[in-house]
Order: sequence, then C-alpha cells, then structure tokens
Amino acid sequence: MRLLLWLPGRLLGALVVLVGVSILIFAAVRSLPGGYADVILGSLSSPEARAALAEQYGLDKSIPEQYLLWVLSALRGDFGTSMVSQLPVTDEFASRLPLTLGLGVIAIALTVLIGIPLGVYTGTRSTGGRSSVLGRLVSSIGISVPEFVLASVIVFLFSRFALGLRVGNVVSPATDLAASIPTLILPGVVLAVFCIASTARTTRDAVLGVLVEPHVGAAVARGESKGFIIRHHVLRNASIPILTLVATLTAYLLGGAVIVETVFDVPGLGSYLVQALGRRDYAVIQSGVLLATVVFVVMSLLVDVLTGLIDPRVSVAKKGRWA
Amino acid sequence: MSAPNASAAQIVVENAVVDYVTPSRTVRALDGATLRIPAGQRVGVVGESGSGKSTLGLLLGRLLPSLATATGAVDVAGSPVLELTPAAIARLRRSELAFIAQDAVGSLNPTLRIGRQLSLAMRPAKPAPGELVAMLERVRIRDPERVLRLFPHEISGGMAQRIAIAMAMHRAPRILVADEPTAALDTQVRDEVTRLVFELAREAGSTVLWLSHDLIAVAKWCDRIVVMYGGRVVEDGVAAEVIARPRHPYTAALAASLPARLAPGERLPAITGSPLVLTGPAAGCAFAPRCPFAAEQCSTVRPEPVIRESRGILCHRIDEIPALVAAGATSGETS
Repeated sequence: MRLLLWLPGRLLGALVVLVGVSILIFAAVRSLPGGYADVILGSLSSPEARAALAEQYGLDKSIPEQYLLWVLSALRGDFGTSMVSQLPVTDEFASRLPLTLGLGVIAIALTVLIGIPLGVYTGTRSTGGRSSVLGRLVSSIGISVPEFVLASVIVFLFSRFALGLRVGNVVSPATDLAASIPTLILPGVVLAVFCIASTARTTRDAVLGVLVEPHVGAAVARGESKGFIIRHHVLRNASIPILTLVATLTAYLLGGAVIVETVFDVPGLGSYLVQALGRRDYAVIQSGVLLATVVFVVMSLLVDVLTGLIDPRVSVAKKGRWA
Repeated sequence: MSAPNASAAQIVVENAVVDYVTPSRTVRALDGATLRIPAGQRVGVVGESGSGKSTLGLLLGRLLPSLATATGAVDVAGSPVLELTPAAIARLRRSELAFIAQDAVGSLNPTLRIGRQLSLAMRPAKPAPGELVAMLERVRIRDPERVLRLFPHEISGGMAQRIAIAMAMHRAPRILVADEPTAALDTQVRDEVTRLVFELAREAGSTVLWLSHDLIAVAKWCDRIVVMYGGRVVEDGVAAEVIARPRHPYTAALAASLPARLAPGERLPAITGSPLVLTGPAAGCAFAPRCPFAAEQCSTVRPEPVIRESRGILCHRIDEIPALVAAGATSGETS
C-alpha cells in the first residue's frame, strides 16, 4: 500500500539517472580522442569521404541535435546502426546477450547455491575454530586470485587434458540450450569463484552479526534448537547485506565479463563493448552503457523493495515520515 | 545458607565460580557463590552492577557467553546444568526454565510480526484459533488483534516486556529468572509489569528468581532476599526482615541508600568507594575495602557464611558490629 505511493517517485528518480547517464555517455564518446573515421576509413582517407560518412550516420549535425535524434529513435526501439558491421545495434546485442545471460545465470546460481550456505556454515561454527579459519582462508584466496590467472589455468587444464568439458567453440543458449551449458560451465565457474568467495564472506559476517543480537540470545534461552534459530531468527535478519551484494554481482555480470569472455573466447556483450570502444562505434557504446545502467537501476530498485519487506525498520516506503 | 527444607531444593548452586576470560584480562564474576532455592519460592537477588547477580541468573540456564568458564555444581530441577549435552540443556531450558531480560524490545526478532514470533515460540505446538489473542489478554494488552500484526519497533517498551512475559509464561515454567525486567520502564508501567510477573508466576506455581536493584519491589513481592557482592552471597534471609534490619554492612549500606527511608531534604548516603572488579579469587572479604568496620582479617581471610537469626551472613565481624555501630552512633559519623 505504502509501496504504491513510493514507487512512482522512485521510478522518476530512476528515469533521471537514465537521462543523466545517457547525456554523459553521449558526450564522453564524442570527446574520445581519435575519430571514428580514422578507424573505419583509415587515417589517409579524403575529407570528402569523411564528410560522407558523417552524413550517413547523422554525425554532421550539432551534438544536441544528434542527442535528441538518438533519444527519439531509441524510444521507438531503434538504437542505431553499428558503423563497423553496418548492422542494427539491437541485432548485434541480440546475438550476444544470450551468451552473457547464460554465463551470468550459471555464475549467480553457483553463488547462491554454494556461497550463501558456505557463509552460513562458517558463520555458525564457533569463531577461531578450524572451519572458521578454513572458511576465511578459502574466501580470501577466492577473492584475491585474479580472474585472468584462474581463467588461464582452467583453459590450460581443460585444453591439455580431456576432462569432459570443452574450452572454446561456445554454443549460444539461443540456438541450443542443452548443448550450450557444457560449453559455458567453465567460464561460468571462473566468474563464480570471486562471487562465491565474496558472498560467503559477506554472509558469514552478516550471520555473525545477527548471532550476537539479543533476540537470538532470547531464542537460545527459550531452548530453541540451533537449526531452528538459524532458520527462523538468523537467515532473514542477515539477508539484507547478502541480497545487496548478490544484486550488485548480478548487475555486474550482466554488463558482461570482459576478461573471462576474452580468455574463453566467448562472443558475449563485455568483450563486444570493449571492441566497440576501440573502434569508436558510437551507437554500440551508447546503447551498451545504457543497457548496463538500466540493469543496475532495476537491481537497486528491486533491492530497495525487498529490503523494506525483509526488515520493516528500514522500510523505504516509510522514509518520508521522518525525512 | 538459610535453608528451609534444603533437601527439597529445586535450584542448588554450590561454590560456583565464573570467569570471563578475554585475551587482555580475566574478570571473576562469581567467586564461590552458594545458594539453595526450594520450589515455589520467590527470591529477590540484589546487588550493585558487577555483583554477579546477572551471571548467576545466566548460569542457571548455562546461557553464559562463550568467553566464560564455569566451575562448581549447578543443579536445576535435578539436572546437573554444567554437565548436560547441548541437546539436554536445550530441553531443560524448554521444559523447566524461562528467562525475562531487561531489554524487552531487543529480545524480540525485529523482522517478524508479534503474532508470528509468538507462534514460533509455541512450536512444535500450533496455536489454536484465538490462543495468541488469549495469550496477550493474559498479560493485559489492549487490542491484542492489532498488536499481533505489529512489528517490535512499533510497540512500547512496556508492551514489549508484556509480550516477552507472555512468551516466557506460556509454558508455565517451573523456574522463572527475571533479570531486571522493569529497569528500562517508567514507574507506573514498572509496578504493573512487576505485579503481572508475580501474579502469573503464582498461577503457574513457578519459582521466581528476581534479579533487581529495586529493594522496595523485592520487599513487596519476594519471600526471600539474596544480597550479592563480589560474586558471593553476603546476606540471605526473609526479604522484609533483611531490608528492615540488615546485618551485613553491605546490605546496611544498600538499605540506607533507599530514598524512601529519608525525611524530605535529607541527603542520601552513598556507599563509599566503587564496586570492585575481581580478576581472581578475593583474598578476604570482597567488601572489606569499602567496609566501615573492616579489620585486618577481613582483607586476608575469606569469610565463611554463618547463620544469625535464621539468615546466612558472610562477615567476619558480624557479632561485633552492633556494638561498633552503637559506639559510632554516640561519637557521630561512622564512615
């Protein structure tokens, strides 16, 4: 009920963020040194050819005019054309998004299925015990090993020895879902290692924080069992920082994982956007950044709503009463 | 100590020693506390902060923090508390004991509605329709249907304490340990909550251990008073008598600081010195540094409890003090 009053304001805020980011990225790509014409036509091209190219993509108009045209066509679902491939940006994204999504889903699923239980386990063992030291060690290693190192090791292992999983020759989930999973597992696992380690660490800290709260002591005094207390009085209370982290990781993964995509030769969004940046492919860069922004805005909106539902004390819907 | 039917004691604490061990230092909270409580008695345990009364209360349910070490014998309803397995101690807490804490709002889960918490506390039984409402009516909460839908941060401290009491008394515990449950409440609510606890405990036939600073409430509601200092029981007897005619110098000092005893305008006497923090066993009487009657042996020889006027008293000079007081009174100030 309060949510219905709160949501429009929050959506308006999200819109302001989107407009702001679109202006920033629009200005940023145009102020990059090295013009698109050098990339596409070569540095020895004639001024006439450059002018023709500018006209073809509407880049001869004033920058505010270009921005308005871009926004108007984006609202109609047309995000422009890639100057490199001559294909609509939406087509380019549509062919790459399933791969990025597939990697993201695998990594987040592993994170939730392994990272959270691991954190709860280490958080509820006595501190200073062997399992807690081991938990901290494993999560420190998981957090600090660079992705390119882990990815290279895995690529080496699985391409040198036939271990049942393939490296390279990735199949997109859009063409064949079942066949795509074995090809995406390895890069998915590499992405998941950091996510699992950081989630386990955050979960452990959150659980330890809740365990010292007086209401947990009261439940112990009532003679509740450990499992009961963890299920009913710890997990829900500890879930806000975990939720925030997992949402952030999800948004980050959906923006594309450049290093892992590059090492495993996965033609996903991340590596594509980096290529586009190098080629000054304006429409692709703008749309990619905008897409990532939308994902982040939606995720943070979701986290805010869920946080209010989990812990009524921090209900965002009620903030207006005191603010 | 004062031992009416000591054989039938429901709570037996024998020479209990509890240390809180941190890397930087060890603090001794109980320094050989001994206490026997028969079933159904209402016992007020009083003493300053640091006297060990909260530790004593927690010890009965083996609820001490993990940095605490406990030795001695603790028997609750026939079970040796310190030797039980984790499952057995949980069973004992469930079936025999109930605790009410000072921080009532904190003792409720902030993320769950009151109704949900009450039904969780009743598990494995499921609340019958109307049972939760009846539980709240029993602790005299108005508009219980509405309160069941509220979250802990939406209710007052007094109401939270009533809900904690409802949860604690729901199982009709044989032993109720209440650690300053009214200290955070204002005076009017304090009286109502105190009355509620003792009435419900009487209905359920529970033994009450009322840990408190409030001597007046102890005199009014408890059969017996146990005065603690430095982790030991220093005086133990019938509540009204001990408060009216304290024998131990510490009890006397506590009783003298009651505002109700004074005429308007008179200055409240404070106990000189500050409460001690023990780091190991006290060499003598823990109160000696603050005691106006302390002699040499008081700081070197540990006193053993003696029985006077059917009270247990922990004092070397118990028989000399009346004469000393009389002498001091004629010459003016005693301290």
